[in-house]
Amino acid sequence: MSLRLSVVLALALCSSTARADGEVMFRGAYYKERSTRVQQPMVDAKLDVGEHGELDAHFLVDVITSASVSAGQDGAEFREVRYENGASYLHDFGRFRLGGGYRLSTEPDYVSAFGTLRGEVSLADKNTVIGGTFAAGHDAFDDGNASGMGSKSGKMKTTLGSLSVSQLLSPLVVAGVTYDLSWVRGDQENLYRQVPVGDPLGLSDESVPDRRLRHALFGSVRGFVEPSRTTIVLGYRYYQDDWKVRAHTPEARVIQDFGGGIAARLRYRYYRQTAAEFYQTIYDVEQPLMTSDPKLSQFETQTVGVSVWAPLSRLGVEGNPGKVRAQLLVDYIHQTNAFGDAVAAQVAFTMPLEF
Amino acid sequence: MARPLRIFVAAVALMAIAGVGAGAGCARVKPHQREHLSRQSMTADQEPGESRFEQHARGSREGADGGTGEAGGGCGCN
Repeated sequence: MSLRLSVVLALALCSSTARADGEVMFRGAYYKERSTRVQQPMVDAKLDVGEHGELDAHFLVDVITSASVSAGQDGAEFREVRYENGASYLHDFGRFRLGGGYRLSTEPDYVSAFGTLRGEVSLADKNTVIGGTFAAGHDAFDDGNASGMGSKSGKMKTTLGSLSVSQLLSPLVVAGVTYDLSWVRGDQENLYRQVPVGDPLGLSDESVPDRRLRHALFGSVRGFVEPSRTTIVLGYRYYQDDWKVRAHTPEARVIQDFGGGIAARLRYRYYRQTAAEFYQTIYDVEQPLMTSDPKLSQFETQTVGVSVWAPLSRLGVEGNPGKVRAQLLVDYIHQTNAFGDAVAAQVAFTMPLEF
Repeated sequence: MARPLRIFVAAVALMAIAGVGAGAGCARVKPHQREHLSRQSMTADQEPGESRFEQHARGSREGADGGTGEAGGGCGCN
């Protein structure tokens, strides 16, 4: 029904136009770590709507297999399927661009809905672009009395405000800065995660604050090296919140254009965070706030990845199918927390549309 | 002023200074000079599906989130 909504919205907007171009992307993503495996097929569509509109829509299925319902802990294997769809539209008014969108995600025990408004203004002959985003989301979950000890349920609201500035620095260099402020209220515990407490050791439900204010500041610079047709991307993000999690994330990417539509990308990403102030692996006694969630511990992550793109025509495919662009991506992720190392891989095919 | 508000004001001020400073310090790039700037690698080297999957995976594995201008989370895999 949700997919139908995306398609109907896309067709309704396209039917009022004389022409439309765009592309459809089919992608399969795979993620594997010690106790969790994720398979995610998805389809994305990007369509020009008339001369001044752009429509994006997506639909995906997330199949998660994990050693326990609270990923990262030991226990019986479980499998869950999540469906997500979303669409957004951006209209170009010349100096201004305005638009909005939605995203809806459903699982057997979890529903999440987001609405987004986006605006941009171009200055100095489009050398500077200032953008703003406002998003509001509502999550609701209910375990349906899975434990047999009574039903657990909760609600969570998220409000996001974002500002971004993009600046052309030369014909070969562009820089950007984005600041996100996110305000999360409500039940933020994992329904199934339990915390080791006491001696002898017992298990208690996770309990975290029902408020979280999150700041993220991201800056990046992209430069093109003309003689070698190489693009270099450098980025850095600083994050902090009022749970006392602080994180630094520098990243570098190099994209090499080999000509004829063939390109390759190498990337390295480093991530380091401090622990939430109430995080412990084991608690001596019951506390008002308790979590042993590995992602709220102190740890670091290093990601090394490679991606290659090529049109199918370079592989001997002729005619229109030869215009399809293929992508293969592999990331290796070293994590110094209980999740352990991970591998992520994606295969994608992008098909141009002209009608 | 409360600490979160101070961070917000500092971040916005930093962005304003960066934007104005960068703009003022650079010669204006004319439309006919933007051949390389319009390359996909110079606008976004990650397709929407690629970045969405990565953001989602990180959101369930890292305590930090954001900096993309888009709402993260949205699932029970936290």
